[in-house]
Amino acid sequence: MNKKYILIIDAILILGSLSAVFVFVNYAQPLVIAPIDNYESSNNTVLFEFSKAELILIDENIEFTSPREIYVEDNLVVNFKPGIYYWKVVGALESDIRQLTINSEIDLQLKETNEGYSVVNSGNTPLRVELYENGAYTGEIILDVDESSGVEGDKFVGREDE
Amino acid sequence: MNKRTLSIFVLIIIFAVNEVSALGITPGSFNFDFEPGAAKSIKFSVINSEKKDANFVVLTQGELKDNIYSVSLPEGIFKMTSADGEKNLEYVLKMPASLSPGPHKSEIVVMQLPGQWKGEGETSVEATVGVAAQVNVFVPYPGKYLEASLNAADSEEGGIVFVIPVVSRGKLDIVRVKAIIDIYNLNEKVDTIESEEISILSGERKEIVVKWKSDFLPGTYKAAATILYDEETLKLEKEFNIGDKILDLVDVKVNDFSLGGIAKFELLIESKWSELIKDAYLQMLVYNKEGEVMADFKSATYDVKSLEKTLMVAFWDTDGVREGVYDSSVILNYDRKSAQKDFKLDVSENEIKVIGLGYVISEAGGKKTNSLVVILVVVIAILVLINLSWFLFLRRKLHGNKKVVK
Repeated sequence: MNKKYILIIDAILILGSLSAVFVFVNYAQPLVIAPIDNYESSNNTVLFEFSKAELILIDENIEFTSPREIYVEDNLVVNFKPGIYYWKVVGALESDIRQLTINSEIDLQLKETNEGYSVVNSGNTPLRVELYENGAYTGEIILDVDESSGVEGDKFVGREDE
Repeated sequence: MNKRTLSIFVLIIIFAVNEVSALGITPGSFNFDFEPGAAKSIKFSVINSEKKDANFVVLTQGELKDNIYSVSLPEGIFKMTSADGEKNLEYVLKMPASLSPGPHKSEIVVMQLPGQWKGEGETSVEATVGVAAQVNVFVPYPGKYLEASLNAADSEEGGIVFVIPVVSRGKLDIVRVKAIIDIYNLNEKVDTIESEEISILSGERKEIVVKWKSDFLPGTYKAAATILYDEETLKLEKEFNIGDKILDLVDVKVNDFSLGGIAKFELLIESKWSELIKDAYLQMLVYNKEGEVMADFKSATYDVKSLEKTLMVAFWDTDGVREGVYDSSVILNYDRKSAQKDFKLDVSENEIKVIGLGYVISEAGGKKTNSLVVILVVVIAILVLINLSWFLFLRRKLHGNKKVVK
């Protein structure tokens, strides 16, 4: 066979193989839509939208040493506690690592009851509530998320329980 | 006024009276590493949860209260109306020139003012609510200093995974960090595991992960971890469970029965827990054809020994009960838990047969094979084969033929 034809076949094979690999790698690369990188919210629930992947890895550590693994074919809503998280999706290939932050939200409700007052933790993180009576500190209580408790006093200050 | 209107009116009054106030703030905390003289922006939102007209005051308190100030809100007082869902505020933390090593805590407190705020010095007898955002500044310790906590969780591959988040809080990097974990059951050491060694830069956070392929009995265990970092040590402890505290209903029998008399139910309960479960009892419900509870009876309390079977007895007075098949439930109560099993009782003149007390064992779904990966691997393998065939055989052969022709 003519040397020229052999070189043409060489070129076709090399370029064809490279093109095929390029096309398949691009095709296999997961498409991540949401949440955007550095997403920040005080809403505990986050919608993950992606395609060409079936596993979400979520970790508080960028090295993914102890990731939460969620197998899912379509989009998914995940509940988070306040904190900084790293996540990626895995299909034939892995997506880039993205970061999301769930901010703590302190939300304290005060209700009047027959016995006095009741405080309710309506935020997304456990609360330490200080109780005051006539300007003097009288004690404190810890409230879990959505927990309520009867209290006495006239001033109530809630903060994140560390 | 009709009843419906009256009910709505009463409900409105109840809600109006019961809800005194509500207030939110987000984020709830800000953490900064100490930088002498640096100014850090603190942006937060005050949430008017109840969408009410209200006045608010912002105060700073704690060690660095005089270093936290607002540019836009110098008096620290603002108003929100029912149309305002939230108000965004920005404060500045001006770090001092020096601080002692360790954490330094301050707060920005937002207080809802009771009633109409008219000025400073006004007093009120109404209750008020406030929320605080914490402002934490951390100054590294001299030398090497490690903060760590120990967590234990079930591993997806079975066994237990210990996760130890470690933060280097000292000024110096830590070259070698590793964990040795002793595992105890009932104060007896049953195993020791070691982690890989890692290094941590000053201010860095990493995780040490150790997997324990336990083949021990279900029960409560204690992990005592010693974290060795360079020449220092840190001790951590954590209790964890292997398996669940489970009592299982294995069998139900009724002997020597005659309709109208007392039926003695003998229920065989199996413990799958390696410790004694105290004060367990069962409740049995029998339903009529309308699905209403026609009998509700309980056993005495029993102490169920670890990994053993215990016979519990409960009695049903069948006076007035007719022959037939009845739906029934047994609820096992133990250690603030309850487990329910449903079955049918076929009641005849001299016999009660228990129908449907069995188990449906479903095949656990494993991880799906990634079809895309398979396609990719196949395509790339074909490409490799074509390339190899061409370059190693066909090309040489054709090239060789050409030479022969020459």
